[in-house]
Amino acid sequence: MHEVSLMQNLMNVVASAAEEQGGGKVMTVHLRIGRMAGVNADSLRFAFDILSKGTVAEEGKLEIETVPLVIHCRGCSEDFNPEQFSLTCPSCGGKDMMIVTGREMEVDYILLEDEKSETG
Amino acid sequence: MHQINIGEDLRGKNREIAEENREMLKKHGIFSLNLMSAPGAGKTSLLVKSLPMITDRYRIGVIEGDIQTTRDAERVKKTGVEVYQIQTGGVCHLDAAMIHSALHSLDLDALDILFIENVGNLVCPAEFELGVDGRVMLMSITEGDDKPKKYPLMFSESRLLVFNKIDLLEHVDFDLQKAKAEAAEINPEIEIIDLSCRTGEGLENWISWIEGFYKSCRG
Repeated sequence: MHEVSLMQNLMNVVASAAEEQGGGKVMTVHLRIGRMAGVNADSLRFAFDILSKGTVAEEGKLEIETVPLVIHCRGCSEDFNPEQFSLTCPSCGGKDMMIVTGREMEVDYILLEDEKSETG
Repeated sequence: MHQINIGEDLRGKNREIAEENREMLKKHGIFSLNLMSAPGAGKTSLLVKSLPMITDRYRIGVIEGDIQTTRDAERVKKTGVEVYQIQTGGVCHLDAAMIHSALHSLDLDALDILFIENVGNLVCPAEFELGVDGRVMLMSITEGDDKPKKYPLMFSESRLLVFNKIDLLEHVDFDLQKAKAEAAEINPEIEIIDLSCRTGEGLENWISWIEGFYKSCRG
């Protein structure tokens, strides 16, 4: 259960990004989580609900985009989307593989409420 | 509403601190390993059995990570090495910041090798870099030979895989060749050592591995 500590980092990132824009409510936080990232979406949502209280993101919603696992074989220059993680090429049996996507754990963007026109 | 693009990794802060740890260890010429496994695989036993085999040549420090209790630290202290206990208070892994404060409490000028015993867990420790030279994963043959494919990240992040409790092979349905093949499929570069902390078999291979890797890292 490290989702809570990751979510604390997320809240810090979101708060400083919103502040840089001159404040305003955060209405959406869009995360990209790789299939191999080892975090649970439900736990992230749970942590978000708790940790966003009293912050600029209190009324915001958390969107989680799952990034598929894509592995590239340098031997046959092909990309694979394997069901199970493996660094052995399912096509040529080569071992020179790299993970292209699937380890992501990032805040992609946030949506900020537009500032209301000042009425004095 | 307007969109603000961020593109920041949630592990970014941890990675920054891990880099600071790496610099700090390098500056003091300390070689470091992060030991990871499921609970009960034998991380503490491996340290308790093998540290006395190298304390004549190296000055050793151990950082013990546990959710609660100081039991492991007390076991390791009996070998006469410097031990620092981290109690994570419920957190399932050690992170770079915990190691950072431990490094500030240890006398780094008095150490050659630092072992970090992570919290027993096959998932979370793999995601958190600590800033060490290498990660070592232990797996005991009482755990089941299907673990590599079930917990691939741990296997893909480790440089060395140690199979412990091999003295029990004849008593359990553990297919060692299958587990090794699966681990090698996930991580073709992983090195493998079989040993038994109970009988001492294979411990000298573990020591030679440490010394070989130590020399390649610190000349």
